[in-house]
Amino acid sequence: MASVSERRKIARLVHRFGFGPRPGEFNSLLTLGFDSAANIYLTSPSSDEFADSQPEPEVSDQGPRPAPNSSAVVAYATEKRAQLSALTLWWLDRMVLSEHSLRERMTWFWHGHWATSYQKVDDALPMFLQNLTLRAFALGNFATMARAMVNDGALIYWLDGQTNTIKAPNENLSRELMELFVLGVNRYTESDVRETAKALTGYRVNKTSGAVTFLPKQHFSGTINFLGTSGSFDGNSLSDFLVSRSDCAQFISERLWYRFISSTSPFDDRGLTAAFAQRDIAKLVQALGRHPALDDPTNSLVKSPIDWFVSVCRAFEITPSKFSNTALLRRYLDNLGQVPFFPPNVGGWPADQAWLSSSSAQYRIQFATALVKESNLSPISSLPESMRISALADLLGVAAWSQRTELALRGAIKDPQRLALLAICSPEYIVSA
Amino acid sequence: MDTITRRQFLKATGAGALGAAATSLTIEDIANAAITRPLPLNTPILVVVTLYGGNDGLNTVVPASDPLYRSLRPGIAYNENEVLPLSEGLFLNGSMTGLHSLWNKNQVAIVRGVGYPNSDRSHFTSMAIWQSGLLGAAKTGWLGRWVETQPQDPLLAISLGSVLPPLLAGTKRSGSVLPLGGLVVPSGSLASDCIKLSIESKSDNLLQSMAAQSMRDLFTVSGDITPILKSPAPATPDLPTAIGGNAGGETNLTQQLDIVAKLVAAGSPTRVWSVSLGGFDTHANEKGAQSVLLGVVSQGISKFMAQIRNTNRANDVVVLVYSEFGRRVKANASDGTDHGTSGPVFVLGPRIKGGLYGEQPSLAKLINDDLAVTTDFRDIYASLLEKVLGTPAERILGNWKGRTSFFN
Repeated sequence: MASVSERRKIARLVHRFGFGPRPGEFNSLLTLGFDSAANIYLTSPSSDEFADSQPEPEVSDQGPRPAPNSSAVVAYATEKRAQLSALTLWWLDRMVLSEHSLRERMTWFWHGHWATSYQKVDDALPMFLQNLTLRAFALGNFATMARAMVNDGALIYWLDGQTNTIKAPNENLSRELMELFVLGVNRYTESDVRETAKALTGYRVNKTSGAVTFLPKQHFSGTINFLGTSGSFDGNSLSDFLVSRSDCAQFISERLWYRFISSTSPFDDRGLTAAFAQRDIAKLVQALGRHPALDDPTNSLVKSPIDWFVSVCRAFEITPSKFSNTALLRRYLDNLGQVPFFPPNVGGWPADQAWLSSSSAQYRIQFATALVKESNLSPISSLPESMRISALADLLGVAAWSQRTELALRGAIKDPQRLALLAICSPEYIVSA
Repeated sequence: MDTITRRQFLKATGAGALGAAATSLTIEDIANAAITRPLPLNTPILVVVTLYGGNDGLNTVVPASDPLYRSLRPGIAYNENEVLPLSEGLFLNGSMTGLHSLWNKNQVAIVRGVGYPNSDRSHFTSMAIWQSGLLGAAKTGWLGRWVETQPQDPLLAISLGSVLPPLLAGTKRSGSVLPLGGLVVPSGSLASDCIKLSIESKSDNLLQSMAAQSMRDLFTVSGDITPILKSPAPATPDLPTAIGGNAGGETNLTQQLDIVAKLVAAGSPTRVWSVSLGGFDTHANEKGAQSVLLGVVSQGISKFMAQIRNTNRANDVVVLVYSEFGRRVKANASDGTDHGTSGPVFVLGPRIKGGLYGEQPSLAKLINDDLAVTTDFRDIYASLLEKVLGTPAERILGNWKGRTSFFN
């Protein structure tokens, strides 16, 4: 039998670098042992047969909104809602069903990093295109990703890049590019923000298609001075320059540390920034997954609402798009404070303690009540009562139940739905211990 | 807040253990708490209104008669006939009629040029500083630290909305969160099951123990206030999504204040309320968007004060309104403004001596195109801590000497 420490390491691997185990997966990884499990888990195959065979969501350029009182406006608004819903369910399905979940996990991480919200973008197509970009580069080279993102229609529109002109630069995009996306706060000056905004002039976004055009005449081609350099820059060369700075390796490593290891323990490099020397995201992720900190019991993390929901779906074989009431599904996620494509602000979602309010507890219980009704609980219900509690820990990828939870579960041992509900609302499941 | 700043913010929570929260409560114990232990009359109550995104102070408290004002931001400046007169050549944004009538009743203190040394123009860093009440590596919120000086009570400090704002975060204990519409407590066997799960276990790590506590608080908080919230809050039309309005915060301030008014009237033993409004990050097309938002702030607050006037808590409420920074004096080409430095802070209520405080930052003496900071925000916090919450400011802010004398 695997030790608690081994179980915890493997549980962390599947919950943090993936979205939790599917039935049987945790046991197979335990049999392999952590080292082999990590080799499999931290290496993403170049293609994912299942996920790639899924049809793409039906999102298209809807063009400008018809006049408020015209007959076309109702159909337009209906279609708009349908596109957003299709896009959201498509992504949730991928998170649940992908054969190998590291790529989806990393796509989700990058969505929170380059946090762009539909709230302002207001069209599904640009958000979809951004999502494809994030997935394509999720484990690729960060320099290539950053270049793609400074040319991404949804991001530029979200941060007012389309209104940034030579005459009076709008600093929103240049500031966040340095503060939140590439370098980290306090690793540049206010003057750097003003100067680099000039490099990002001349980009125009077609709002509904997300297409970006670069207009050389609208671009400031003169010399800018920033971060100890000077010259003529555009979005691509600016991005390359920022990414090449050592602060970038430090910052991206810190961000991954924050999401995958701990939001409270201080960053402990031990080769992480070195692994990112060539800006190879896959290498950094591999180093992180084998970092000794993953073995430190104090480095627990609270599952965000999406982490929690997707991991329940994987264990209990629920397909989000086949949920009996998908509108309700979105409302539950909204109540918990996390809906894909709607980060609360450009800094992305909060972590840990923020998800542990009494209102989260209430909505989690409501959501869990609905989820267990649509779950396949046969791996539990087919077992004799005496085996159900430990089987549930393996099914859900929980390292160990506390006495408290074991007692609560024992009281519900005869009723698999109630048992499942309590297990997924327990502190041991809410927290990746 | 998802930055290194937030990490610093929460760093302390990883260090300590939970406070004396281990007692398991039953629904019966707590269902009547709001009725059995109402806040004693004449106890001051603080309502904090956070404006997320960086409100443009110059178009809130407008120096409309200063010719420099119009010449520095021609596209987005207001004329004197578009704004509401205060004094000393200053005017209130034209949409803030409700707040203006409270000003005329001498109940509004406007502190000018508020900020902190070496203004940081990052939303996240600056908001962390404002919410922590400390410069540098902030670990807890200023009101979270206050909560920890008080006997444990999950009803003591409540934020409306589903996520805990950093200002209520403490090392061992934090404020509570109340979603709009109130909490629905599980009942029957589900309730007894959940209560079992909410007991703290010896093997819990810090976050697991907090998860268990959040479930215990669900029963405490909701048992107390659900009866008061039976009537649905009036719906407010969705606010327009302003271009640039993407730096966080809620969209339904009126609804939040409506619930606070009901709970204050019912005697909830709560000393601190936190509400918020987002959308102030007006990098583009600022004028229209900001005035809609300021209208919501003004209307929401004046309606709230009117509701409170009709209760036996009429003199108890003090409202604080702040944002993480002001904006650049000059407009950008998109008729918006980029991140700036100082801005005005409003403190209002019947206990407040209305008027202008602090020095108006001079438009003739800009520092790198930005307004000077003339009042440190901690002066205001220190005064509120002492006069509203009855707690020595030193316990929360350390050795901070400044005060603002806006209390009657």
